[in-house]
Amino acid sequence: MSVSIAQPITTSRAQKIGESDHAKNLVERQLVDLSCKKVVSLLFATSLFWLLMGSALAIAASMKLHMPEFLGGSDWLTFGRVRPAHLNTMAYGWVSTACLGVGLWLMSRLTRVELRQGPLLWIGAISWNIGILVGTAGILRGDSTSIEWLEFPYYATPFLLISFAIFMFEIIRMMNHRQPGHVYISQWYVLAAFCWFPWLYATATILLVWFPVQAPAMPPINWWFAHNALGLWFTPVCLAAAYYLIPKVIGKPIHSYYLSMVGFWSLAFFYAWNGMHHLIGGPFPAWLISASIAASVMMLVPVITVAINHHMTMRGSFDAVRWSPTLRFVVFAAMSYTLVSIQGSTAAIRPLNQITHFTHYTVGHAHLGMYAFVTMMLFGAIYYIMPRLWNREWPSAFLIKSHFWLCVLGISLMTFSLSIGGWIQGWEMNKAEKGFMEIMQITIPYLQARSVSGGILTLAHLAFVLSFTLLLMGWSPKGGRPTLLAQPRHTETVST
Amino acid sequence: MILAGALVLIVLVGITLSAVISFWWAAESGQFKHPEESAASIFDPSEPIGEPTDKFPRSES
Repeated sequence: MSVSIAQPITTSRAQKIGESDHAKNLVERQLVDLSCKKVVSLLFATSLFWLLMGSALAIAASMKLHMPEFLGGSDWLTFGRVRPAHLNTMAYGWVSTACLGVGLWLMSRLTRVELRQGPLLWIGAISWNIGILVGTAGILRGDSTSIEWLEFPYYATPFLLISFAIFMFEIIRMMNHRQPGHVYISQWYVLAAFCWFPWLYATATILLVWFPVQAPAMPPINWWFAHNALGLWFTPVCLAAAYYLIPKVIGKPIHSYYLSMVGFWSLAFFYAWNGMHHLIGGPFPAWLISASIAASVMMLVPVITVAINHHMTMRGSFDAVRWSPTLRFVVFAAMSYTLVSIQGSTAAIRPLNQITHFTHYTVGHAHLGMYAFVTMMLFGAIYYIMPRLWNREWPSAFLIKSHFWLCVLGISLMTFSLSIGGWIQGWEMNKAEKGFMEIMQITIPYLQARSVSGGILTLAHLAFVLSFTLLLMGWSPKGGRPTLLAQPRHTETVST
Repeated sequence: MILAGALVLIVLVGITLSAVISFWWAAESGQFKHPEESAASIFDPSEPIGEPTDKFPRSES
């Protein structure tokens, strides 16, 4: 606050009132952060364990694509088991667990309601991790359902559903007890994600895993679930984080609140119709696939509104990515969101889909979404949240910068190699005279590049886990302020 | 096949319907009024507008 000591008594009184509000807000925020400390940290710590597990499985699966004999001696390390184990440990173990932590913290902060104490949320977090452990072990043992994104065997799914129900009711409880006034856009996203996903997951699990429907009905349900998991679970939590973190880090409200609402409501109304465009060319009713293609193209509306809003909010503040670890991850993720969404909408159009379908291009697209957008956003959010929960700074700027640049290098190499290799693969596969093995040979250099990129990303993850562990162990400086991070110099010069 | 399709359709329409109901509630409760107020609601006197809240550890600038 820019207040001079020589100001009149009336201003001084106003300042005291301001200071009292200041102190009240500080205490309120500290209490909210303190209430989240243990459960959210547990969720983040276990998510990082799964990130490392998923990375190891990813490298194994990727190597097998160009070195089929690699780790071929054991049944449980064959490609058919390692690849789904990688997908599920990443989607549920890393991303979903981190989304649970970020969503709970965001809702607690925005509603200013403390997280419930006691055993319930612990049970939720532990049950969630037991579900993933049992599910991953089941896949490696050979019990995979072979339904993409739902490979966990039937005996693992109740753990996940119970946990999700616990977290959903906690989000609804905080929403019910929120302080009166406007519901911020991030609250809408978190509330929607925590209510929609259990619904989706339960429906898909019942119809595909517990009481499997007839085979022809399975692919549409499968792809409806798989695509909506991205659009109605990962995307809303990550956009909620972006809409909170970008303004908070740069100290500037979102450019257009109206645009943010247009983005949220268009996602809410139209996203659930996506998914069937993965089945273009399959033996399904044409209207079903056309409806999904239309919905996929409609997604340009929320994507463009979000992109414009984030860009306009950042305009004039891009310099901030130099001094904020959170912001550089979040801005990279937000830009990737625009890119992956436009790529997804175009790839759903039939003429383009005829080339990219069943190729590595789709795998590159999935990694652009799940890594460059979702994972980078979660890294950014964790960089913001953890120092506030533990009253400590991150131990090393070098580790953070190494983490960021290795991530950028790794995911860029992976996306480019798979997109280009996949496009060539699709183009060649459409030529009737070309043999399948001949086309396989063409893709090998791109698959080798993918393995290299996996190694680079694993190094990035190790740097992050090291930072996280050192912070938890207290090997980092303690802060003296509630946010626990000093202000950049240029703001200190305008403050007293 | 028909039962499965019906169930998915119910959930699909249900999700869209939940969005419609929430939209109606938001409009009725004035969530679309005073957008500037909403945009600024994440700031408070201890973390006011104009004050960045994140930087690299032990960074000087």
